[in-house]
Amino acid sequence: MIEVDRLAKRFGPVTAVDGLSFTVRPGHVTGFLGPNGAGKTTTMRIILGLDSPTSGTARVQGHRYAGIVRPLHQVGSLLDANAVHGGRTAWFHLLSIAQSNGIGRRRVTELLQLTGLEAVAGRRVKGFSLGMRQRLGIAAALLGDPPVLLLDEPANGLDPEGIHWIRLLLRSLAAEGRTLLVSSHLMSEMALTADRLIIIGRGRLLADAPTERFVDASARRDVLVRSPGAGELAGLLTAAGGSVAPAGGGALAVTGLEPAAIGDLAAAHGIAVHELIPRHPSLEQAYLDLTGDSVDYRAGRAAR
Amino acid sequence: MSAAQARAAGPGAIVRGRDILVSEWTKLRSVRSNRWTLLAVAIVTIGSAALVGSVFASGPPPAPGGPVTALTQSFLGYAEYAVLPAGVLGILAFSSEYATGLIRTTYAAVPRRWAVLGAKAAVVGAAALIAGEVLAFTSFWLTQAILSGRHRGLSLSQPGVAGAVLAAGVLLGVSAVTGLGLGAIVRHVAGAVAALVGLVYLLSLACLLLPSPWDDRIGRFTIALAAYQVVALQPQRGLLSPALSMLVLAAWPAAVLLAAGVVISRRDA
Repeated sequence: MIEVDRLAKRFGPVTAVDGLSFTVRPGHVTGFLGPNGAGKTTTMRIILGLDSPTSGTARVQGHRYAGIVRPLHQVGSLLDANAVHGGRTAWFHLLSIAQSNGIGRRRVTELLQLTGLEAVAGRRVKGFSLGMRQRLGIAAALLGDPPVLLLDEPANGLDPEGIHWIRLLLRSLAAEGRTLLVSSHLMSEMALTADRLIIIGRGRLLADAPTERFVDASARRDVLVRSPGAGELAGLLTAAGGSVAPAGGGALAVTGLEPAAIGDLAAAHGIAVHELIPRHPSLEQAYLDLTGDSVDYRAGRAAR
Repeated sequence: MSAAQARAAGPGAIVRGRDILVSEWTKLRSVRSNRWTLLAVAIVTIGSAALVGSVFASGPPPAPGGPVTALTQSFLGYAEYAVLPAGVLGILAFSSEYATGLIRTTYAAVPRRWAVLGAKAAVVGAAALIAGEVLAFTSFWLTQAILSGRHRGLSLSQPGVAGAVLAAGVLLGVSAVTGLGLGAIVRHVAGAVAALVGLVYLLSLACLLLPSPWDDRIGRFTIALAAYQVVALQPQRGLLSPALSMLVLAAWPAAVLLAAGVVISRRDA
């Protein structure tokens, strides 16, 4: 369990985290989303006792992180896969971290096997790809078999097989009753992995909900209708209480009516319907709708 | 007390201290460049000792008090060449972790930053001290072996000689720990090296610019002049006694470590 309570962090005039409160519960993968500069990494650093908050508190398993003795047994973390000494081998990198918390060599070997790095254990990290470094970082996070995990962009740099691997790993860790807070920019990946979402923008909480409910609550739920009698059908649908918008290629995007009602209406008036597709919003679209106003670094509207 | 609380309470402080020391020792020995640095220190120190010894042996007969110089000269390699790489070894112990971001992994594993500082200082300081003593005795024997052919050599049994050789070895430990503290404060290698050079070399030179007698009165508290006193058989007048100079040599790394501890425990990682 991670409890963040009215957390704030200011760097001079810049407010990175602004009165943020949320709770991350065990047994789920909780996705931690937000635009660049939203305060995700700062929040994670404060939870890990690396940065001190301007105000508010962050607790892990009921404790302030800095007060935990041998914290790797309580909390595993991966903030930056590139934060390794290039001149050290994977084995010694993990061993030095393990030893600081009284963890033995056997556990280091186990994790090299689990993350598929045993063949390169004796190689210096300098030559590792980003994907291999991510695996090494995940190995380090799991050394103490912790009930809580904080992972910042763990899928970054992984190949499709690696992404599939980490998805299964995260889900199985959550199924074991652990608490996982995972940040990511890969929305399609988060939609598959995270059961719950915490979304922040400009240091404030924008949403804290189960993934499914968050996506469903998005406004972008409609039915795509393609018909040779689109013009006539549009009038009928509007009269029946739906709202109709052109969806390109002569198709209609209908909101406010279920697919069955639309089909029945068309049939009753003898209008042929070629396509009738209920469209579910994507997490990505729901996320963009929510965070649109809180993006700090935008590439110009045309890019969207 | 729940199981989690029991685990959080954890083992005793001594066990944890040992864990952190073991971890830092693993870090030090698992980076190849550290071994190269120590090897470079060894080659340069012993090489310059041999060189100085032969130059001295072929030179004109010494003036009265000559053997004193013979002792001091055997450690010329230290003052000129060994102190800096030993200091850099210390600097890298912190600055390499800051440069890569590894320091966050270190602090996440050991939130008590004073303990991290202490463990790094102990491990790096001990490694440099042992290397320093080995090199001091090797340099001494090598120069004296060259000089004894000219009947100018000294032996360890002569009064003050053994102490001076031991003290010369301490110099590398002092340098490494001072460098470690500077690395923690400055974080960048280049800046920390500049600070180390300033502290070890330039500070004593700057004191020479002061009007007499203030040049010595202040200069005697610098690392360079204190180091000169501890390896000299006949200490220079106006400076501190060898014993007090030894205290000065211990005080510098202690002060730098203290400052480093205050800085790293307040600063965001």
